[in-house]
Amino acid sequence: MKLILCAVTAALLHITPTVIMVKRQDAVAHLLPGADQFAARELHLSSADSKKLHDAVGWEPPDGVVTFYVGKHQDQTMGALIFMRVDCQHGPIELAIGYDPRGTVRGVEVTKATVEMKPWILEALRAGLTNAYNGMATTQAPNGAAKVKPQIGAMPDYMAELVDKGVMHANAAYRLFYK
Amino acid sequence: MLYDLRNSDLRVRWLVTLLLATLGTSYLFGAWMVGLYAGFSTSKVAETYGSSGEAPMVMQMPPETTVVAEHAVSMGEMGDEQHHVDKDLLVQDTHVHMPMYAVIAAALSVIVLGLSMSRASGLALIGLLFAAPWLDFAGMWLTKIVSPRFAVVTLAGGWAMALGYGIVAAVATYQMWWRKQ
Repeated sequence: MKLILCAVTAALLHITPTVIMVKRQDAVAHLLPGADQFAARELHLSSADSKKLHDAVGWEPPDGVVTFYVGKHQDQTMGALIFMRVDCQHGPIELAIGYDPRGTVRGVEVTKATVEMKPWILEALRAGLTNAYNGMATTQAPNGAAKVKPQIGAMPDYMAELVDKGVMHANAAYRLFYK
Repeated sequence: MLYDLRNSDLRVRWLVTLLLATLGTSYLFGAWMVGLYAGFSTSKVAETYGSSGEAPMVMQMPPETTVVAEHAVSMGEMGDEQHHVDKDLLVQDTHVHMPMYAVIAAALSVIVLGLSMSRASGLALIGLLFAAPWLDFAGMWLTKIVSPRFAVVTLAGGWAMALGYGIVAAVATYQMWWRKQ
């Protein structure tokens, strides 16, 4: 019986494979419209800046590097984008967060999730989760989860909170270090 | 021998056969997944689990002040990156996979206990069944924290897993359904 319980527990804990929710290229096209030249701006954070980021949002990049992708058209900046990973016990999700040239959030896409998390995320997205981020200032606290909570179940709500968290991390990195 | 699979009840042999078939199928898909996400060569495994794959431009120590490096990229370069398992993901993978590997090794070992083979062969086979997942994950961790050269340990673990399963499946099937005495 113990063996069966262990097997069931292990099966329940098993992280399911990653699925692409939105191809990165499609996210780039959507979040940096009009851009046809791109540059990767890699910020190798000093210890002090890593700490600053950690103090602000309780997160710092594990490898010490934050990468923004800057989109340009005829040398005019069309915006910037960052891919942000958020981990939970069900596996990782990846978000693409785009910023317009004024520095406000242009949009958010969930680019990756796991097989298990996909239906929960889709439910949160269908309830309009990512609409809540459009146009927000990087100083604002993301509250997409609170907006969709009445319309969705517990797990989709948990996914929405993870998306909020990812947007909060990205916004802090943009606000503090993107020049 | 604690029990004799050769002369066991038909229902026991049916159970063992179905268990082996199901595990075999999951192993085939496991191999397919390894091919998709990690590869079967030492260089591919080192790229997936080694520290070099984590961020090609990472500085070993944080700089005194934040350094900004900018370079042109194509749309393709921003696309889906090569699958890489960083330390956090490896912690998670180890936590969730090791219990399942232990249960699979235990299930196969219970089958070994019912096979007609010498005590030494039984001990060696059970040892192999449990050594495989240890080698697999030890290889991943050593590749990450010591040297990419340890990728070969992970490959050895994968092949040991296949070998252990192959021996148990072949011997059990033969003894249960063909060699009755």
